[in-house]
Amino acid sequence: MSADWTPGEMMAVAAASLLREEDIALVGLGLPQIAALLAQRTTTPGIQLLLEIGVFMPHPVEPAVGIADPRMWRDPWSFGGVLDVLGAMLHGGRVTLGMLGTLQIDPSGSLNTTMVSAQDGSVRRFNGSGGGNDIASLAGRVFVVMRHDSRKFRPAVEFLTSPGRMLNGRPRAEYGLSGGGTTAIITDRAILTITDAGAVLASVHPGQTPESVIGSTPMPLIMPDGGPDETAAPTATQQRLLRTELDPKGWYLS
Amino acid sequence: MSKVSSLAEAMSAVKDGTHLALTGFSITRSAVAAAAEIVRAGRRGLTLTQVTGSLDTDLLVGSGCVDRLIYSGGSLDRFGSLYSVNRAISAGMPTEEYSTLSLTLRVLAGSLGLPFLPTRALIGSQLLDHLVPVGGAKMIIDPFTGTPVLAVSAIRPDVAIVHANVCDEDGNASVSGPLWSIKETALASATVIVTAERVVPRHGVDPSMVIIPGTVVSAVAEVPGGGHPTAVYGAYDYDADELTAYAAASKAGGDTFGRFVADRFLAGMVTR
Repeated sequence: MSADWTPGEMMAVAAASLLREEDIALVGLGLPQIAALLAQRTTTPGIQLLLEIGVFMPHPVEPAVGIADPRMWRDPWSFGGVLDVLGAMLHGGRVTLGMLGTLQIDPSGSLNTTMVSAQDGSVRRFNGSGGGNDIASLAGRVFVVMRHDSRKFRPAVEFLTSPGRMLNGRPRAEYGLSGGGTTAIITDRAILTITDAGAVLASVHPGQTPESVIGSTPMPLIMPDGGPDETAAPTATQQRLLRTELDPKGWYLS
Repeated sequence: MSKVSSLAEAMSAVKDGTHLALTGFSITRSAVAAAAEIVRAGRRGLTLTQVTGSLDTDLLVGSGCVDRLIYSGGSLDRFGSLYSVNRAISAGMPTEEYSTLSLTLRVLAGSLGLPFLPTRALIGSQLLDHLVPVGGAKMIIDPFTGTPVLAVSAIRPDVAIVHANVCDEDGNASVSGPLWSIKETALASATVIVTAERVVPRHGVDPSMVIIPGTVVSAVAEVPGGGHPTAVYGAYDYDADELTAYAAASKAGGDTFGRFVADRFLAGMVTR
């Protein structure tokens, strides 16, 4: 792989490239937050960002340690509460895009953010759902941003915190879920799209081949007609923004 | 009659076994001074509800005050996890874990005096496997459309604590910045205690800025820095060094955490 960018930078750039100007987006802590801010500052300046804590359209200029960091809320359009953001906006059907991280993912895009077992059988607990389940349950479409670590791809997640596109092999709408579920997985190797037929290798990042991605992905990948695209590499402008403004301390991108 | 009292007097509403609700969020607006007073008073057997787990909850759980937790996960953001909470859950502390919205709807239902509210969150999640048996949530059929929907039951804590920026002597409290589930949590609770950076005379808070109406507040304590080391929007930033030290102590647990709490939180209370 080229040494010109870090895996985190490639993930942020690839995720940002999938956002739409008209998106109303709810994003989680970490790389999703960086990718959304990158898009806001470059390709899709009209994107509307929301934070579950109760912030509409923040314009942070300093790196934040999370969504509870007031740096993240800078220069907002308005403040509100959970009932405004996760209630009226998300549950009300106005949020077109959710972007989340995960510990584990299954082929339908269901997520585990609760716990993982070690080989010795001990369980390590993580941060749990927060608004993650709400976003996965209710957003129009959901992007999952995660390292391309073979241990993260599971035939079934150890704990299903948040539902993906299908539940028990059936369309999620049958169960009463309203959003579209996971539609794309953005990793440091590729962009996978989730369809009813399974995961599609939509795009491989520079320095990767379809074979290298398939070889590092322990779940079936469908090849699109004509083969996968090649993801655009980070531009100098994107890298400068990421390194000097959005994550100068390398908290998320290193 | 003025509701202003000392922190210790205000917190006397929290007794052994009280169902307490806290309103911090991760590393912001945690009721740290109030939680420390509960630790100092040696309260035990609390049921604790907090929509998004934050430092105050970790402090109470790590100090052995809590028997049962109702939350939707939480963290110290990049400073770490709620290590004491996670350790207690792993050790078997009865815990109900929701999503942020579904738990907010539980307190909203409680505030409205409704038995439950319907939602499309949490459906299909394994979180439900633990919530249905304890009466927190149940799949029902929408009586109008015949389609499945999740009902989350009302929750009504005994006492809620809100750390406000400004509060008048009648308990009308102003909270600056985002409001997550602060108001719904307070209004669901039988008794509300406000700790505030600043307490002002009657009519001293612009009515348009009041988030918690004094009508539901029983006691007000002026506690400048009462959210430290978490951030209080409009008053102060989080204290990164202290949060780093807290996370390390909570991760270590045991006597290390006990000494840290005694040194950093309890020692200062005597003179406050």
